[in-house]
Amino acid sequence: MVLPLGAAAQSQNSKSESLIRHGQRALDAEDFARAASDFEQARQLSPDNLEVNRGLLLSYLQMKRLDDAENIGQAAVERWPQDAQLQHWLGLVYFKKGQNPKALELLQRSENLDGSRYGIHLDVALVLLSGDQYSAAGEELERTVKLDPEAALAHVLLGRCYQNTNRTVPAIEQFKMALRLEPNIPLGHYHLGFAYASVGRKHGAIAQYEKELAQTPDNPSVLYQLGHCLLEAGDLQAAVSHLKRAAGLDPSNSDAAYDLGKALLLEGDAEGAIFALRHALALKPSDPSPHYQLARALQRTGREAEAQQEFQNFSALKKNQPVQGGMAAGPTQ
Amino acid sequence: MPKIAFLKLSLVLASAAILSIGLWSPGITPVQLSPSEQSHKLPAEPRSTNRKNSSSSNSVWFADTTRAAGIDFHLTCGSLEKRYIMESMCGGIAVFDYDNDGWMDIFLVNGSTLDDLQAQKCHPSKLYRNNHDGTFTDVTAKAGLNHCGWGFGVAVGDYDNDGWEDLYVTYLDGAILYHNNHDGTFSDVTAKAGVGNAGNWGTSAAFGDYDNDGNLDLYVANYVGLDLKHLPEFGQGPFCQYRGIPVSCGPRGLKGGRDRLYHNNGDGTFTDVTEKLNIDPNAYYGLGVLWLDYDLDGCLDLYVADDSSPSMLLHGDCKGGFTEVGVPAGVAYSADGREQAGMGIDSADYDNDGWPDIAKTNFSDDSNNLFHNDHTGEFTDLAGPADFGAVSIPFLGFGVKFLDFDNDGWPDVFVANGHVNPQVDQHSFGVTYAERPLLFHNLKNGKFDEIGTSAGPAISRRYVARGAATADFFNDGRQDLLVSVLDGSPILLRNQVSNSGHWLRIKTVGTRSNRDGFGARVQVKVGSLTQIAEVRANSSFESASDPRLHFGLGSSAHADSITIHWPSGMTDRLGPEAADQELVVEEGKGVIARYRRSQMPAKLEFPGLTHAPMPQ
Repeated sequence: MVLPLGAAAQSQNSKSESLIRHGQRALDAEDFARAASDFEQARQLSPDNLEVNRGLLLSYLQMKRLDDAENIGQAAVERWPQDAQLQHWLGLVYFKKGQNPKALELLQRSENLDGSRYGIHLDVALVLLSGDQYSAAGEELERTVKLDPEAALAHVLLGRCYQNTNRTVPAIEQFKMALRLEPNIPLGHYHLGFAYASVGRKHGAIAQYEKELAQTPDNPSVLYQLGHCLLEAGDLQAAVSHLKRAAGLDPSNSDAAYDLGKALLLEGDAEGAIFALRHALALKPSDPSPHYQLARALQRTGREAEAQQEFQNFSALKKNQPVQGGMAAGPTQ
Repeated sequence: MPKIAFLKLSLVLASAAILSIGLWSPGITPVQLSPSEQSHKLPAEPRSTNRKNSSSSNSVWFADTTRAAGIDFHLTCGSLEKRYIMESMCGGIAVFDYDNDGWMDIFLVNGSTLDDLQAQKCHPSKLYRNNHDGTFTDVTAKAGLNHCGWGFGVAVGDYDNDGWEDLYVTYLDGAILYHNNHDGTFSDVTAKAGVGNAGNWGTSAAFGDYDNDGNLDLYVANYVGLDLKHLPEFGQGPFCQYRGIPVSCGPRGLKGGRDRLYHNNGDGTFTDVTEKLNIDPNAYYGLGVLWLDYDLDGCLDLYVADDSSPSMLLHGDCKGGFTEVGVPAGVAYSADGREQAGMGIDSADYDNDGWPDIAKTNFSDDSNNLFHNDHTGEFTDLAGPADFGAVSIPFLGFGVKFLDFDNDGWPDVFVANGHVNPQVDQHSFGVTYAERPLLFHNLKNGKFDEIGTSAGPAISRRYVARGAATADFFNDGRQDLLVSVLDGSPILLRNQVSNSGHWLRIKTVGTRSNRDGFGARVQVKVGSLTQIAEVRANSSFESASDPRLHFGLGSSAHADSITIHWPSGMTDRLGPEAADQELVVEEGKGVIARYRRSQMPAKLEFPGLTHAPMPQ
């Protein structure tokens, strides 16, 4: 039977809409391959359907078929230049491909088309953060939390932006807010601990790191920061314990090996310190600090000649170190 | 219309980012809270676990008695914008008994401005005489301390052993030695003495007898070589930035000033032995000076706090020579081998193990040092374990003094703070120009409790503080504090600790040794506790303190024994002695005078009957 032209078109539309609905459900179920298949079929039926193109772009993006996503996205953006979501997702495609300037251009265009969406600000911020543009990212995140004050993750990210732009006080407020909203948000306690430590509140930092560690007991970075703080606070036994674990879990962490050496030396275990410091040096031979510490450890064991050699190595490396600023303001971490 | 879950997508990306700790950690620029933010914006940090041991800290109180004391001095130090480095480094104060009446007087060094310096307009330094009743009288005009220049630091010592304290004041260009004429006046004897430090910008200076010949020698820390006609442009260049904002330049990028060591010839003249003894060959940026005998070999050593360059420890060889041992001794750098912006230094045996330890202040973002003497010629920075370091990170420290404010026999610490760049107040760095001081209570277990916010409003207030000196201004057995404030008035902080212990004060009078007894090591035993202290006036930042040794005796009404090791090698053994008195001890004779509080000269009896000069 041959359907009339109008009826055929109606049937085609109906099939297309059905495929779009299936595609949506697949996306919601995170079955991206099926979603892509549905939207591909729908696109054959309705190539000029905006929703179809959006769905297909998103499906490819989620499947990490980035070249396909780019092709679809570019064509769609050309066809619908005023569609904020297409620009947004194509921007994310470029972000995932490591092409940040292009990503930023598209995301900001999307933001200009429709700045009322929480997600666009968050994604612009993420792209900026990946380029260490903390001030600009912070501004985006401020917009984000204004649109959704309950978004714990955005508060954490905003806190990191503040922390990295010398605004520790508001950073601490953001971390606390995030933890109030979501007490177990990943790395919330870690970031708060880091902020506390940077202003000399070691005991507060230790408490936060311990909370983070309760959630992720084998995270070597948390273990290291906790060990570092314990060392600074003079709790040498606990510091050694955590630093040993941190170094064991991440043998490439030269800072953990260095701090372990320092802690052991303060504990009076010069031989243990020498072993750890030599390991730190093997990982980072151009760092003067382990040479200095090693020289002091060797002094303790009476190995004066070796100590002198390490002091010389230390001095030689220091001469090559660039200095910053007019006065020696020391790093606190 | 499909409802696409872009929010979920964003969160997936964000989670991936945040879960990677390493993503931002390396780029983190830690900053500090300003004290006001610490106290007002943030919920109170739980006090340190040591707090429960700090039994007497609740009763510690210092009151600002400056106005009542009649001290009306204003410290001028360049423009308020601090466009040049010398505009941030003034603040010398000296506490000394210039008229030998047994009461501590005050000398305050004044700075200047570029315009006034050029116009030869003077900002006079001032001498205040202690009236014995909590007030002071400005006696500058009579005293003749009238050199016109841009002053910085001051050292006190009886360089000619005539029994009267003399003054040495450093300036932006050179220095002045004032000889005490015994009649309330001073004479400029710089040229005759040969200690002019010509062409140098001196900061701290200190008298000490490094060759034990009985005459006080003089060390002068020089900071930066400045050409006032070609000053480095504010904010121009990599050494004129702080956290990315333009600030005054230096000291990095500027030529360092080589310190000078003057040997006292014993005839009122000195010989510059800097080159001969190879002192400070690298011309580091010198700021703090401290004579001490860290290895107890009977000969003075010298510790110099250098700014943004390694600090120096000059070990005296008892033959008039020095070896620089700062690096192997562990006091040249931070515990991690970093240069620090060393400002002020002081020494005391904070853990009562019989060996002198060292405290040093540094820039903000950095920890102050507490160098523990390991008895091996080496030191270990225990600032962290002692709870002395982390709390100092937000502060830029200058003057530092050990004192036993509660007379419990364990040295506490005071630190004067204040940033060098007023520009920080225009940014939300969490750093402020004015900062509160830090007051550390010794917990007798190697740890301190910082109690500055609970020791009275005068301590918890914010200042741009520089010099700090200790003294018992009121001869009441309690150590008070004097702090200089940049572009402001000094603060006289009277010790009003309510449950203070007993005390003993010792004034040394050398005969074979230098008259002041500088360098004498005094040991006081009370029960099972043995305290040691060295006699000196000069330490901290550009300042001189009450040279009388002050020992807290806690609940004990007497000291069991007192041993004085004089620089000459002679030893005097005394005791037992009752508490709550000042002993004047003469080398080889023992106690020659005792003063209880009620017996202190009640009014000025110039030129001083009770502390009459010893015959030569």
